[in-house]
Amino acid sequence: MAADENNLADRSGRLFESQKGYDPRVVLFYFIITALLITLASGLAYQQLFNAELHTERESSQNQRRILIPGPRGNIYDRHGLLLVGNRPRFAVVLYLDELRAKFRAEFIRIRKNYRAIDDKDIPTADQLWTLARVSVVQSYLEQINAVIGRDLKVDSVRLTTHFSRELLLPYPRVEDLAPAEYARLLEHLPVVSPLQLYTTNTREYPFGSAASQTLGYVGINEDVTAEDFPGEKLRTFKMRGSIGRDGLELKFDSLLQGEAGGSIFRVDPLGYRLRDAKPIESRLPTQGQNLVTSLDIDLQLAAEAAIGDQTGAAVAIDIKTGEILTLASKPDYDLRKFAPRLAHGAAADITAREAWTNLAIGGAFPPGSTFKILTSIAGLRRGVLDPTQPIADCQGAIRIGNRDFVCDNRRGHHGEVLLPEAIAHSCDIYFFGAGRLITADLLAEEGRRFRLHERTGIELPHETGRMVIPDPAYKEKVIGEKWFPGDTANMSIGQGYVLVTPLEMACFAASVARNEVFTQPTLLHNPDAPVQHTESIGLTPTQRAALIEGMVGTTTFGTASTLNLDLFKIPGVRIAGKTGTAQKKVTKDGKTGNINFAWFICFAPADNPEIAMAVMIEGETLGENFGGGRYAAPVAGAVLKKYFEKKNRPADQKLAPFKIE
Amino acid sequence: MPKRLDQARPFLTLGLVVAAWLIIPTVFKTFTRASFFELTAPVGVAASYARDLQEYWTLRLHSNSELIEAGRDLARLNASYDLAVQQNIEMQGEIARLEGILRLPSYTGYHSEHARVVRRDFSGWWQRLTIRKGKNYNLTVGAPVVFSGGVVGRVSEVFAYTATVDLISSQTVRLAAVVEGDTRPISYQGGLNPTFGSAGGVIEFVPLDIFASANSAKRLVTSGLGGVFPPGLTIGSVIKVEPSTDGLFKSGEVKLDDRLAALTEVTVLLPLETP
Repeated sequence: MAADENNLADRSGRLFESQKGYDPRVVLFYFIITALLITLASGLAYQQLFNAELHTERESSQNQRRILIPGPRGNIYDRHGLLLVGNRPRFAVVLYLDELRAKFRAEFIRIRKNYRAIDDKDIPTADQLWTLARVSVVQSYLEQINAVIGRDLKVDSVRLTTHFSRELLLPYPRVEDLAPAEYARLLEHLPVVSPLQLYTTNTREYPFGSAASQTLGYVGINEDVTAEDFPGEKLRTFKMRGSIGRDGLELKFDSLLQGEAGGSIFRVDPLGYRLRDAKPIESRLPTQGQNLVTSLDIDLQLAAEAAIGDQTGAAVAIDIKTGEILTLASKPDYDLRKFAPRLAHGAAADITAREAWTNLAIGGAFPPGSTFKILTSIAGLRRGVLDPTQPIADCQGAIRIGNRDFVCDNRRGHHGEVLLPEAIAHSCDIYFFGAGRLITADLLAEEGRRFRLHERTGIELPHETGRMVIPDPAYKEKVIGEKWFPGDTANMSIGQGYVLVTPLEMACFAASVARNEVFTQPTLLHNPDAPVQHTESIGLTPTQRAALIEGMVGTTTFGTASTLNLDLFKIPGVRIAGKTGTAQKKVTKDGKTGNINFAWFICFAPADNPEIAMAVMIEGETLGENFGGGRYAAPVAGAVLKKYFEKKNRPADQKLAPFKIE
Repeated sequence: MPKRLDQARPFLTLGLVVAAWLIIPTVFKTFTRASFFELTAPVGVAASYARDLQEYWTLRLHSNSELIEAGRDLARLNASYDLAVQQNIEMQGEIARLEGILRLPSYTGYHSEHARVVRRDFSGWWQRLTIRKGKNYNLTVGAPVVFSGGVVGRVSEVFAYTATVDLISSQTVRLAAVVEGDTRPISYQGGLNPTFGSAGGVIEFVPLDIFASANSAKRLVTSGLGGVFPPGLTIGSVIKVEPSTDGLFKSGEVKLDDRLAALTEVTVLLPLETP
């Protein structure tokens, strides 16, 4: 028996073989194998327990793809609910290349076989054959479209290759902006299940064309669409192009208007093709952005723009009680319809050449001219250096201040000894030179700063200029490096010299004067329940205020803006309180240096119970041209005011029902 | 043969058949499928003729008085139709004159081919009819099919003596429709319809200013812009529209004519050759 157990040959072939005896060398292998097993087990445990998340992510990123589709932007309405900016659907035919894998392969084989059959020695490379196959297959689909809508579409192989390599899972657009009849024909002729599908995108729609173009702003292409709270951030993502605000309200309220992107996550094969008939792992529909209701009144806006016409200038109308902007017009402007779907280079160059990009109402700072005399009057009255019943100067057409003669530019001078109301109505420069001297430059500047004319208004628009200036001796010393002269005070008192303001600031100033307060916060957002604004009182006595208003009403009845007395602008039962201005600025045009004029007009109406305030600035084009505010700026305000009171006094049964915003 | 292999013979045979089916050419498979249909089609057609005969004898059972009464009603109806036809001819002439003045393209003319329904097939998968005319009457794939209530569907397959019509309740049928009184084309497509439920469809790309509900349903008609159906044929009633999340359009539901489930005769419209 013992012999049998020791005989290996005998034990061979038994069900179980055993190793009898003890060989110490084997122990070493026990340790080695145990160590290896422990290493493997530890590694496995580490990868499975601690690195599980990492591997899941890797697996996902390898076989999953994410597609993001931007949501349409919100609409922009005027204060009465009229659509100013909306979205227009664009119908397109698209081809889903990722559904054509089998066809591409079959075509590849067919083309290669043909080359081999003719024994062509210049057989293309595999990459070239694949490109040929793709072009051939896509062209066959284009022929289907051509047959239905009678076009002659050809494949752009470079664009196709780019789309194939970079955006395989995105629809490949073949025809965009289909006409309704083409869209209808394709609906009935294309198979319901096909890689060729009808697709809708959207673009901005501007029912009023160029109206309020710089205020509304425009959008550009957004390559970087993001989807908050949508999973798969680390996956390879294909993004459809969206839009992003580039200027105006579109830029300022981009985050509000921007729609919420939708998306899908699909499983793909190793070559990146979507798995056939695969349902998305995740899917979310895009949603439209929020709507914006502006304070603009499109009727007034159109009236202002029509009145400015081809001139260069700006007009701002503001609701005195709430500070809501009713009109923010700037010319030259641009047609927003040219931005949809995208602005052509030629059109952009044209806008640049016409200098139409800038919103002059907020982006340009200009000397306010004699409209500033209202501030000088307030400063003088408040400081007690002006008495409405006492003349302070005898206007004989010119006055010597320092070593320079200053002339009265209005009505060729010779106003004589005028009181404040007449001085305002006739815009007597000599009176205000005297007033400035009595007030002093520092106090006049302090009054300007009290009305916040030295800083941005903070309106909800980008690119509001910060170049406004309310100068004082310290300013001149610091910026110009020169001493302040009495002539500078004289210039400042009539809104010339270094004074620079924006038309929006002057509209707010007019509204503040109308409310007898020092500041009006402008806003472009409409709130039907907006409270009446209240700030610090100007601080005039009733007599002083009455004299100021009398002068401003005189401006529009017998003074420098008596144009508004013409039947064309006359509004029955409404007295307008206004002030004209004409400022000069030295410029060089076509190699010649000279002065161009800025015609100004600020006003509010009705004078007794103000509702609306305005500021208009029109820029002269010709050097040395006499370009007065009463003649060029006041009619613009007249047209807007007439429209305002026409709308207000329209019988109730003629009023249009407000558009309902859902 | 070993016993174990003998037991596996059925599975082996099945495997061989499947393998053969996979490798034999598509042409052969298509031929056999078509042949099968052509061979079995006469069964359905014969049943249809039998039903017609049955109906014929049912009608024969009516008394002479009933027939005379029906004939009189029919004569009156024909008279009113004759009048309507005359008016239509005049209107068509006027339309043609206006199209000529405005240089508008005229709509496609159609030749009507009436056909009896052989079989109706309503299931979760199919929503279709088989009609008793095929290549023998020059029917073509894609031809529009109508009945007195409006659109029936489109011809999807044509055989020697029969043809298959996909009903508008089928998801494979899509039309360019308009809501009555509007001119903007919208997409109509058959819905996911249960076997015995009432048929319906869905509309998409509906303009935002169109409103409809079950209480104030709007008639959905063919637009005529798609080039397949003439304009103005009833598709169904729009009973619901609601805005889509993207705010660009609305989408909605359409209730189709209940008579679609009981059709016995339809008309295939065959486009006339342009001279």
